[in-house]
Amino acid sequence: MMRMYAIAANTFRETMRDRILFSLFFFAALLLLTSAAMEEITIGDSRHVVRSVALGAIRVSGSVIALFLGVGLVYKELEKKTIYTIASKPIPRWVFVLGKYFGLMAVIAVLTGLMLVLYMGMVTVQQGFPGFTVLPAMYLLIVELALLTAWAILFSTYSSPTVASLFSIAVFVIGHLADDIWIFGSQAESVAVQELSRVVYWVLPNFEVFNVFDTAVHGIPTEPDRILWASLYGLGYTAAVLAVACVVFERRDFK
Amino acid sequence: MSGTRAIQTRGLRKVYRSGFFRIPYVGLEGLDLDVEPGESFGFIGPNGAGKTTAIKILMGLQSATAGEASILGQDHRDPECRRKVGFLPERPYFYQYLTANEFLRFYGSLFDLRGDELTRRIGVLLERVGLARFADVKLGSYSKGMLQRAGVAQALINEPDLVVMDEPMSGLDPMGRALIRDLILEERERGRTVFFSSHILADVEVICDRIAIVVKGELRGCGTIDELVGDRVRHVDITLVGTLPEGCPGTVVRTDGDLVLLRVGPDEVDPTLDQLRAAGARIRSVDRVRMHLEDLMLEEAERAEKVDSKRMGVLA
Repeated sequence: MMRMYAIAANTFRETMRDRILFSLFFFAALLLLTSAAMEEITIGDSRHVVRSVALGAIRVSGSVIALFLGVGLVYKELEKKTIYTIASKPIPRWVFVLGKYFGLMAVIAVLTGLMLVLYMGMVTVQQGFPGFTVLPAMYLLIVELALLTAWAILFSTYSSPTVASLFSIAVFVIGHLADDIWIFGSQAESVAVQELSRVVYWVLPNFEVFNVFDTAVHGIPTEPDRILWASLYGLGYTAAVLAVACVVFERRDFK
Repeated sequence: MSGTRAIQTRGLRKVYRSGFFRIPYVGLEGLDLDVEPGESFGFIGPNGAGKTTAIKILMGLQSATAGEASILGQDHRDPECRRKVGFLPERPYFYQYLTANEFLRFYGSLFDLRGDELTRRIGVLLERVGLARFADVKLGSYSKGMLQRAGVAQALINEPDLVVMDEPMSGLDPMGRALIRDLILEERERGRTVFFSSHILADVEVICDRIAIVVKGELRGCGTIDELVGDRVRHVDITLVGTLPEGCPGTVVRTDGDLVLLRVGPDEVDPTLDQLRAAGARIRSVDRVRMHLEDLMLEEAERAEKVDSKRMGVLA
């Protein structure tokens, strides 16, 4: 455990010292704060529109950060050959993969937390204290990002960041359209299309399971059952993807 | 397999596959190697001979296609066998955002080291490799020689019984080479096994108790330098005063007035001397120049090349 912690802590330090992260976070904060302007240009229920856009900005920013950092995480170690001095230590490779993963997740959790603080501050100043109904939504966002990061790391264990980015973006897009793919498949006349859409639906993740922002912006509490089932789904799926990533990495030769 | 040897390999083989059609090529062909505890062992051979491949397999960075290997008596595939092993890869790359202190602390923690003991080891090692003054400087601003020294420090952080280094002197200036050479000798004096590959054969001759020569993935010789080179003479230098007779064998290396330095093969000495004396030349000296490791390696490389050419001829 201590060795996994050491790798996670080093990954956390490496990522936090990365200038790219600051650029991404600056972009995210800017996006979040710009959503305050929505109040001025929206007709009707502008308060909820501001909250909705701000939370959407957090979600998109979190996903971009997870994808951007996740796809290069393991590859960078291979490209820079820093893996030589780590994999030659008494460390099973799965410990390395999980250490990298938890290190990055710690960064994502800290950044999401910072964005939440920014959101609460912005809404409080503009509309008054919004309450804590947003907290379960933010928790489920972190579960969603944990799953997305696991996919990015899986692709990162065997392909270059460019290819891993393309695959990860594909998973991200399909994961957000999973329900639509199911509906499209059930209405298709071709049996092949029906089967294909079912396979895609069941094999790839459904990220909408984690999306409770619609109720959160209206101050409606999220049902505990929803949180529980979404957590089990997300964490179980994440564990499975990480297990595959560990197996793939175990079989790799470092040339 | 023996449980006492520092390194033992039997029939270690690696076949790589490259290109779209996954065309195979042999990186290592049935390597049998025994490295005894406490010895300083040099692993030499030309580029692409399979030295790094063998080291990577031993260090768990690549899998062998066939064969078996043990490190300090344990199967090399078990990561735990490397608990008492230090490794310095060829042209090492390290985390540039870390200071030397943080860097060694990180590598120490990979061996479950912590607290005062880790701090003590870091202090001692930084002092030994001459980086104590730069302990809080980021590795990103280190020179190549300093990085190599930091690399040696991380290889020794766990006080290993076996130190494996891949080309530790490559690209270093003479001072850097001397430092690494001294560190290797110090480790040997402490009773540790040092196994390293190198192109700098002059250093290998000074440092190593035994060496192995690998060419084109095959082991071509293994033993002490005396066992491998022995009293073999590379050539004989004859210094004479006078004129060389017609048809005298050998090559004139230098002339200075009447003084001639003639180089002949070991088998040509007696007939040459007879010819020279018959022609009235005065022999000043006859120096037998001993074969060096480099000559042996070149000889083995040429032999391997000839075997390859014959194989190609048979195939054609």
